[in-house]
This record gives sequence, C-alpha cells and structure tokens, in this order.
Amino acid sequence: MEHLIGVLPYLLVGLQWTFLITVIGVAIGFVIGTFAGLGRLSKNKLIFGICTVYVEIIRGTPILVQILFIYFGVSDLFGINLDKLTASIIAIALNAGAYIAEIVRGGVQSIDKGQFEAGDSIGLTKSQTMWHIIWPQAFKRIIPPLGNQFIISLKDTSLFSAIAVHEILYQGRQYASSVFVYFEPYLMVAIFYLAITIPASLLLRRLERRLDV
Amino acid sequence: MITVENLYKSFGDNEVLKGISNEIAEREVVCVIGPSGSGKSTFLRCLNLLEEVTSGTITIDGQVITDKDVDVPKIRSQVGMVFQHFNLFPHKTVLENIILGPMKVRKLSREEAEEKAYELLEKVGLSDKAKDYPASLSGGQQQRVAISRALAMDPKVMLFDEPTSALDPELVGEVLSVMKELAQDGMTMVVVTHEMSFARDVGDRVIFIDEGIIMEEGDPKEMFANPKSERLKTFLGQIL
Repeated sequence: MEHLIGVLPYLLVGLQWTFLITVIGVAIGFVIGTFAGLGRLSKNKLIFGICTVYVEIIRGTPILVQILFIYFGVSDLFGINLDKLTASIIAIALNAGAYIAEIVRGGVQSIDKGQFEAGDSIGLTKSQTMWHIIWPQAFKRIIPPLGNQFIISLKDTSLFSAIAVHEILYQGRQYASSVFVYFEPYLMVAIFYLAITIPASLLLRRLERRLDV
Repeated sequence: MITVENLYKSFGDNEVLKGISNEIAEREVVCVIGPSGSGKSTFLRCLNLLEEVTSGTITIDGQVITDKDVDVPKIRSQVGMVFQHFNLFPHKTVLENIILGPMKVRKLSREEAEEKAYELLEKVGLSDKAKDYPASLSGGQQQRVAISRALAMDPKVMLFDEPTSALDPELVGEVLSVMKELAQDGMTMVVVTHEMSFARDVGDRVIFIDEGIIMEEGDPKEMFANPKSERLKTFLGQIL
C-alpha cells in the first residue's frame, strides 16, 4: 500500500510529460494529417506521391523504431543534439499525422459527390468548395476516429521510455527499480493511463452526441 | 445564347455523346428527353463544364467555354444548375445556402446577398424557412431552395437535371410551377425531364436524345402528336 502512495509524486511528473507530448504532438499531427490527407486526394502526382510515401513509411514501421531513428539516427546524421521532448513531439506528430491523413482522406471521400458538384456549379473554386462545404461536413464525421487516434497516441508515448523521456511509464519504472517492488507501482501506472483515457472517451462521446455524428 | 457544335464525350471507351450540335436562343425553354443512359444528363453537365468535353465546342453568350484556358469557376457562376437530388449544403441554413455563392464569388456584402436571398425565397414561397436547415424541409421545398440558390448568382441560363425525379408525386407540382414562372419571366432554360406535360405546356422546343445523338427535335405538341422516328414512338409509348 505504501508504494501505491509512494509512486505518486513520480507519476505526477510523468503525467505532465505524457500530457504535454500527446497534446502538442497530436495537435501538430492533425495539421500534418489534414494536409497529407488532402494531398492523398490531389490530382497532382508529385503531391500525391510525397503524401503516399510518407503515410506508407510511417504505417509500415513501428513507432519505437521511429523514435529511436529521430532521437539517435537523425541527431547523429546532422550532428545536432535534439532534446528528448522535441524528439518525442516530432515522433508523435509524424506518427499520428500519417494515421490522421488516412482518417481525413476517408472523411472527405465519404462526402457525397453532389456536394462537390453543387459547390462547383455556383462558381466556387476547388479550395473554396473544400473549405466552406466539404471540410465542415467531413470534420464532423472524423471526430470519432480522431478521438481514437488521440488515445492511441497517448498510449504510444509510453514507448518513449526507451529514450528516457520522463513520461508516466518511465517514472513508474524508475520508482519500482529503486524500491524493488513491482506490483503496486505498475498497477498505479496502469491506473494513471486509464485516468486519462476513460474521461477522454466519455468526453468524446458527449461531443459526438452534441454534434450528432 | 448557347451554341453547341459537334460535341463528343467519352468516359474511357464508352462514347456517350456522339456529335451533338444545337442552338439555344435567349429566353428559350428547351426540354431534353430520352431514355436513361442516352446521354441527356451528360449533355446538360457539359454545358457548365461539370463534365470535360472530349471534343467539340460550346459557346455561351459569345464566349467559347470549351477553350483550354478558360476560367472554369467564372463560367460556372454564370450558368445556374439544379440537380436531381437538390444537393443543398446540409450544414448550412436555407439562407446561408443561398448567400454563399453571391458572397464568395460575386463578392456581395452579407446585407446585399441576404436582401437578394429573401427576394428569391419570397418568389418561391419559402420566406418563412430562411433560418431552417435543409433536413427539416420536404423534397419539394428543398428543390425550390436549390433553384433560389442557383438564381442568386444571376445566371444567364438555368440548367435543370431531372429536377422532379427524386420527388414524391404530390410535391412535383410546386417545383414545376416555380419553373414555369421562371420561364414566363424570360429565363433561358435547358431542362432534362420526364415530365411530358411540362415539356408540352412550357417548353418552346423539345430535343429527343438517344444513343448519344439528337434523334429528333421540334415543337413539343407537334413532336408528341406525330413522332417521326421509331425510337421516339417507342419512347413516348413507354412513358405516356
């Protein structure tokens, strides 16, 4: 019991890191994913090609490889010293971005062709049609999978313990190995993740209901 | 007003329009009829470049719209289009549906655009629905809003692609009467339709398209009474 309490200060530090990396990372990932997803629908072969290669590379490699590649590999290649927080945020943003790109593409493709034609027929440009007509409808539809991606990315940050980011799992492990007790600290680690993901799910469901998706 | 010369359109190997030529005068109401798959909708969609033509030229009000370097959105903004399935924007109110084009394309102020929208809604009898969303309207009401949305752009010509085909029978009349009024106001109209009574009463001319060509055309009453081609006879026999 004492270790359930004892681990708390560690995990509270970890919580801040986990939260920071996830929120900033997924927010940037959303921007990347929106452009990459629209790029995957582009008739321009170069844009389509770049976006497709990006999505396939990220989807086809484990996120652990991605973080190690960014933190050690890229730093090594360019002789720069990326700090752990920056590397983590980049990794989550790139990773989530690829999955969000597919979510965005699916969302836009789910909109009836007649909506594009109606926009065209009143003389809107392609980007005006996208911005005023397609995107608002598509965005409503992709809220559930976006929320799902947020939760996945949040859990993925636990892998960053591999580069000693002080996120929740890393903090719990540090504590456990310093006191040689493992059950209670890891139980608390699990509870911490659930303490974020369950409210996030509930919030999402309420949002969906309000938007009637 | 509209001149179509030798219009061809293929989708892959499938040749849908096989050389259509026609002249449509200002203030003329032309009804296009024909069996499904005959190419009549494709013909209509070529007139506002929703379909890219394979070869041939279309001239609207002196401008060759089939040239490669034309400003496509600008041309479309001058040609109103009404769709079979209305295609109203479901996330926007009736009023917002109508003012979007005038504000974004014609650069009218919101006040000007709204004033115009209310005038049009008054005309189609839907002033009280301005703040409603399309989903709360009947099909007939939605189509009347869609007509207003197209008219808000002050088009030179209005195209109708089977505007009443998706409506319950009792709602067809209200849409047709709006279209009839529009014709009486002198709008140039091209209407793809199965409503033979509309073609007869309102149409100045009927074009019968079959297998991608204009098989027969002329005065509606004359054509329906004395069809020359076997195909038109068969077609009229099936739908009348």
